[in-house]
Formats: sequence, structure tokens, C-alpha cells
Amino acid sequence: MSLLLEILSPDFLLRNALYGGLIIGFVAPLVGVYLVGRRMVFLAVALPQVSTAGVAGAFFWHALFHQGEPHEGDFWLALAGSTVFTLAAILGLVLWDSRSRGRADERTGVLYAFAGALSLLLVASDRIAEIGILGLLKGEIIAIPTDELLVLALGYAVIVAALWLFKKDLLLVSADRDLARSFGKNVPAWDLALYGIIGTTISLGVLLVGPLVMFGFLIVPPLVAGRLVTGIRYVPLAASLVGGLTAFVGFMISYKLDWPMGPTDVALICLVLALVAGAQAAFKFLSRGGRGPG
Amino acid sequence: MSGALVSLQDVALGYGGVPVLEGLSLDIRPGECLALLGPNGCGKSTILKAVAGILSPIRGTISRAEAGSRALKGRPVLVGYVPQQDTLNLAFSMTAADVVEMGTYGGLPLGRHVGRAERARAMTCLEQVGAADLRGRLFDALSGGQKQLVLVARALASAPDLLLLDEPLSGIDAPTAGAILTLLGRVNRESGLTILLVTHHLGGLRDVIREAIWVHGGKLLRGPATIMLAPEQVRAILTEDFLS
Repeated sequence: MSLLLEILSPDFLLRNALYGGLIIGFVAPLVGVYLVGRRMVFLAVALPQVSTAGVAGAFFWHALFHQGEPHEGDFWLALAGSTVFTLAAILGLVLWDSRSRGRADERTGVLYAFAGALSLLLVASDRIAEIGILGLLKGEIIAIPTDELLVLALGYAVIVAALWLFKKDLLLVSADRDLARSFGKNVPAWDLALYGIIGTTISLGVLLVGPLVMFGFLIVPPLVAGRLVTGIRYVPLAASLVGGLTAFVGFMISYKLDWPMGPTDVALICLVLALVAGAQAAFKFLSRGGRGPG
Repeated sequence: MSGALVSLQDVALGYGGVPVLEGLSLDIRPGECLALLGPNGCGKSTILKAVAGILSPIRGTISRAEAGSRALKGRPVLVGYVPQQDTLNLAFSMTAADVVEMGTYGGLPLGRHVGRAERARAMTCLEQVGAADLRGRLFDALSGGQKQLVLVARALASAPDLLLLDEPLSGIDAPTAGAILTLLGRVNRESGLTILLVTHHLGGLRDVIREAIWVHGGKLLRGPATIMLAPEQVRAILTEDFLS
């Protein structure tokens, strides 16, 4: 109880890390619902990696051409790199998809491999070793400046508003493309709008929590929600609640045990998924009177 | 297009830029109940998809009634589409009610969500097809016939001017097929809903449709149902198609 009171205190030293984690925990699953629903989970692995490569690329470029200058604009530089790389990757994939007959997951796999290698090569170049990108890769969310937190909060508020405003259209083009076309919807334009929302969510989130945590919160809460509720209307809400609550409990555990917050959150949400899946399997087994399937 | 809801003029249809059918012309007028017939692979579904706006023509024009026409009271033509197989591609489970509510999305303006009125209409449509008890059931867990009924309800929930059905009778039992045909005949007679139905099941069709269109040798042969469904006509067309 004292731990809870300490964390909830307005003077709590790591409150920005808590708020940042909570914002991502509540909002990322709302976007992840579309990635899981459209069976594009692999994209949720690749894009945060691309975003990280964008951050590394931006710092590398800065170190190369502006050596010795102060890094007051680091956040904006990182945001620019992350956004440009992520949106360029999305646009590239969409164009590639429209012109190629190969499998989309193969292209996404290549993108992931390239982005991962590029991030590590840029970090290993020793030009940006002190900038803290290794912490980003590990998901160490400790000190989030208030202005960066505000940017995240504002950006994610816009994303939530867009998801709410376009909910029916995004769901329609995700669930039944032929029906959407028969209603006269411009399906490629709606796809692009969704990818833009996904890209912005990732490029903002990766800056604060890194690719691992971003992927975890995009994908796992929707998987938990899909097992807990019936009916597409309730899945986003349930996923958001699961993500937000996990972020909070994960923060408490990581603070108490002095563990890195990102990996703690991801491990916890995976544990929740395993528990829910296990409980469902046990319930099915018991409801069959202890007999196995078939 | 002389009062037609949808008009195809000298249209070429195909996939990947390669035409499958060419020189097609067809007018669908308000209140008509038509069946598009032909053997497997003749292009019936391709034509239906083009009429639905799912497939763009390679050449020619497909025009829908103008927004200012009297029948439509200043709004665009609304199409209710029942696919050959369910085209739902969402990893999450949807209830039958969720699926039917999707039919109301087409008539809602940007930013407006499904509300009480749309939910009530979806429920009415489920009742209309005799599937009200499926409301809370998971769509993926339904039988083929039950899914078909839900998809017909979804198409009706769009309050369409034109109902397009792609093989709604395939893979379902005879009583359900009969119920679907009876329902289509009733909504056409009672509410004047325009219907275009693709099928290769000819049994029971004559009681429902007024005109039939055969896709024969890449062309459309249209005539009254009594003539086009006469056994000798059916035999002649199918034999010719088989031999060619």
C-alpha cells in the first residue's frame, strides 16, 4: 500500500516514466487491434525496428555533420528520424505490395532484418554511443522530460480521436474489403490512413519506450482481449484496459524490484496472456468432464 | 441510361488487365428481379462484382443512377452485396449481430457511429430472414446456411436500392435455399427492391424472378424467365457451352 501511495504521489521522482508507460499502455493496444485483426503482426515487429533505425540514423547524421554542437534538439531530431523512416517504410511496403506478387510477410521480414542490422551498425559506429540509444533498444524508461511527455500525450490524443472518428470505416476496410468497395469506399486511401495512424503511433512510442515495449503493447493486449470478450465492439476497449493496467502493475513491479521497466511490462503482459489462455483451456477441459479433445 | 439504377455500356471485365468478358451491355432498372445464369467459370460473379463496384472495368463505362433522380431522392445508389463466400477477414470473432450491423455502415456519414436505430434495423433484418436467434452467436461457428442467412440480413440492413447476391444458394440445404428464394421474392414484390441474383441452381427460380440473363459464349442473353428457364432453352444453352 505504501508503494502504491509513493508511486501515486505528485512528487514521485519517476512520475513521467509512469505516465508515459500508462499512455502507451492504454493507446498502443487500440492501434494494435487493427494489426492483430488484419493478421499483420509481423509488421508490428518490423516497424518499431525501422523506427529505431530512424532514431539511430538521425543521430548518426547529426554526429557526422554537426560534430561538437549541443544536443538540445535531440528529441525532435529523434522524432524526425523515427517518423521519416517509419512512414517511408510504410509507403514503400504499400507501393511494393501494389506492384509485386510476392508474399507480404517476406517483404516485412526483409525490412525487419535490414532495419535491425542498420540500427546496430549505426550504434556500433561509435559516433552516437553516448546518446542513449542502447537504453532505448533495451526499453529502459526512467527519465522522460515533461515536454517529451506532453508531445506523446498530444500525439496520442490525436491518434485516439482519429481512431474514434474513423472507427467504422477502418473496421470496414479491415474486416471486409469487398463490402467496403460495394459501399463506394476508397479502400487504398483508408488503408493509407490506417498505416499513417500506425506509423505515427510507433514513431512516437518508440522514442520513449523502445521497439520491444512498443511491439509488446501493440500486439499482446489485443490477443488477451480477443480471448476475454466476444464481439468486435468490445475488443478495443478491453485491449486498452488490459494494456493500461499491465503498464501500471508492471511499473510497480519494476520499481519495487529495480528491474528495467520495459522488459518487466512485456514479460507481465505475456504472463497475463498465458494465464488467460491456460484458464480457458482448463475451463474447456473441465466443461467436457475431464475428457480430452475429440 | 434511361432510368436504370446501374448501366453497363460496352464493358470489358477481367483481372490484371486481361479481359475475361468483352462488349457487355446491361441495364438494371428499379424494381426488377433478375437472375444471372450460366455454367461455372463463365464470368457471372465477375459481372456481379462489377455491378457492385468491387471490380473496375478494363474498358467501357458502368454508371449508377444520378443522385438527382426521383427514385433516389437525391442520394447515391445504395448496394447490398451478398458474397459467394463470406469475405470477412478479421482475426477477432464477430457475432452475427456485429456482421449484420456492418451492413448499416454504408449509409452512415463520416464520423457517425452505429447507434440505436442502426442496431434496431440490423435486428429487424435478422428477424426478416428468420435468423433472430443467431444474433449473439459467433459468425465463425455458424453453418454454411446460417452464415448465408446472416449475410443476406447484412445486405438488407444497408437499406439497399439494389440487392446483389452471388451464389446465395450454393452449399446450403434445400429448405434454407427455398427460404432464401421465398424471402427474395417477397421483398421484391412488397418493397420493390431491385434484385440481381447469380446462381446455377435453377430449381424454384421461376417463381421468384421475372427475367433471366444467360452468360453464354461471353455474351449476355436476356429474356422473360418463362422463356429463358424453359427446359429446351436451358438444354440448348448448356449443351452449346459444353461442346464449345
